[in-house]
Amino acid sequence: MFKKILIANRGEIALRILWACRELGIATVAVHSEPDAESLHVKFADEDVCIGPARNSESYLNISSIIAAAEITDADAIHPGYGFLAENAHFAEVCEACKIKFIGPGPGVIRQMGDKAKARELMEQAGVSCVPGSKGVLPGEQEAVSLARKIGYPVIVKAAAGGGGRGMRIARSEDEIRTAVQTAMNEAKKAFDVPDVYLEKYIEAPRHVEFQILGDEHGNIIHLGERECSIQRRHQKLVEESPSTALTPKLRKRMAEAALAGARAVSYQNAGTIEFLLAPDGKFYFIEMNTRIQVEHPVTEMVTGIDLIKEQIRIAAGEPLGYGQDDIQFTGHSIECRVNAEDSETFVPSPGRITTFQISGGPGIRVDTAAHPDCVISPHYDSLVAKVITRGNSRQEAISRMRRILDLMVIEGIKTSVPLLRRIMADPDFIEGRISTHFLEKSLFRKDRAGASS
Amino acid sequence: MDKEILELIEFISNSNFVEFELEREGFKIRLVKSGGGAVPVAAVPVSSLPAAASDAPPAASATAPQPAQRFHEIKSPLVGTFYRAPSPDAPPFTEVGKTVRAGQVLCIVEAMKLMNEIESDVDGAVEEILVSNGQPVEYGELLFRIRPSAPAP
Repeated sequence: MFKKILIANRGEIALRILWACRELGIATVAVHSEPDAESLHVKFADEDVCIGPARNSESYLNISSIIAAAEITDADAIHPGYGFLAENAHFAEVCEACKIKFIGPGPGVIRQMGDKAKARELMEQAGVSCVPGSKGVLPGEQEAVSLARKIGYPVIVKAAAGGGGRGMRIARSEDEIRTAVQTAMNEAKKAFDVPDVYLEKYIEAPRHVEFQILGDEHGNIIHLGERECSIQRRHQKLVEESPSTALTPKLRKRMAEAALAGARAVSYQNAGTIEFLLAPDGKFYFIEMNTRIQVEHPVTEMVTGIDLIKEQIRIAAGEPLGYGQDDIQFTGHSIECRVNAEDSETFVPSPGRITTFQISGGPGIRVDTAAHPDCVISPHYDSLVAKVITRGNSRQEAISRMRRILDLMVIEGIKTSVPLLRRIMADPDFIEGRISTHFLEKSLFRKDRAGASS
Repeated sequence: MDKEILELIEFISNSNFVEFELEREGFKIRLVKSGGGAVPVAAVPVSSLPAAASDAPPAASATAPQPAQRFHEIKSPLVGTFYRAPSPDAPPFTEVGKTVRAGQVLCIVEAMKLMNEIESDVDGAVEEILVSNGQPVEYGELLFRIRPSAPAP
């Protein structure tokens, strides 16, 4: 087992890793930027090293600084957390070359999964279906027509250089396809100066369902069930839960088998997540594999009782998984809400000094946060202030606990997403589990508009 | 106005300016950097405005002993291990009391097996060396205090 782990991250995940190290009796090294000198992860770590100024590229993304910090403190492993260098294959290689264990999969797998086309190819070879579509850029309208005929309508035409909804057109029939391709190409040309578009099947009201994978260095690979993360805004997850209300035992088994097949195809080691889009008809499609611990990992921990960060450390230390698939028991229901420093209506970030920070505890509540009264939410970093996680014997209990804690939570000095989270937890569609990735825009916000016009 | 002048002095101290002069609305101030940070040599009230900086030390005091913050500070630009000599059996790059020139190597900070030479950015004399040979240093850690030599007349 490692003697000392350097935590190459900040905020709540740095603390979360520190907690796991404490419980395992492993010494910790915090690294931090200049403005983070007073952060909790720095205060609680056994040692700390300032690695640079506020700018990410000069501190938390500064590979040579972080490696040097590990060398001067004699750390034998680095936990990258999520974000920053967590999925940087080059960083994993440098760690390897410096004989410091990178807590995560090897650089080869990180690189393969980071390359979308390569990942898709590997998954298809493993028999995991991906969203059907053009292999690369569409040569022209005629190809679009024949491809759409083959995969079936509706289809979506997307700008290859895309983003933010520009250069995107949905076609629901052959009448619409030519116009859709033309418009998308024109928009793409105007917005990105590149008219290249590709085409894929458009999945109406999909749900985002992902599977947690653990693989050790001895060839054992298991899954820890799913997380549903359909409540998103612009691909930013806001609420996650496990289990998903959309899965029947049969569908769960099929999706889990697909996730395991994907993980086995790359001999996956350490913790990883396979993300799927789930269509209303029960068909599911691979989107991507995340080769790191995820923000929403606590909901899996709450329903399996497995400490994922400790498992990551044990796996990286070469220990075999101490259990098989059949030993994993899923009990109860867990929900996570992300409390962000942002206006809950406009989503404009709201950094600043937190004056009051009061979150209650009680049965079935877990709060992962590095925030405290009088701390500063820096404009340099992401806006996540706290993750509030509840567990109940049923989904209903998990929701009522979440409503209770959100109602009694007081954060002052900055604006937070709490008002929006309260509305989601009170929304009849959410309570009934009628959700998709369009929930916020098409359901919750539409009700606002309907309410405003009546 | 007093606060503004103090801020101005601080700004000039941290800048590369050697001399600074400002005249506006019947008020004139001239700052000349000498023997460390900015020393206000003259604040000449042209009109009846109070001479805000008049209690600052006169130019002559620039050669008198300066408080610690008047020294030029050399901080580590990176994380690594501090070495005072190019190799274990070589003599140190510099010692307390020795004169150094801008661009002269003061020490090495080793990071990832790379020897990064840290140079002085001023002419002056080494007043203090704050870390010992072989000691790990973090980003921004204070390594040397240099007493800058007086600017050429």
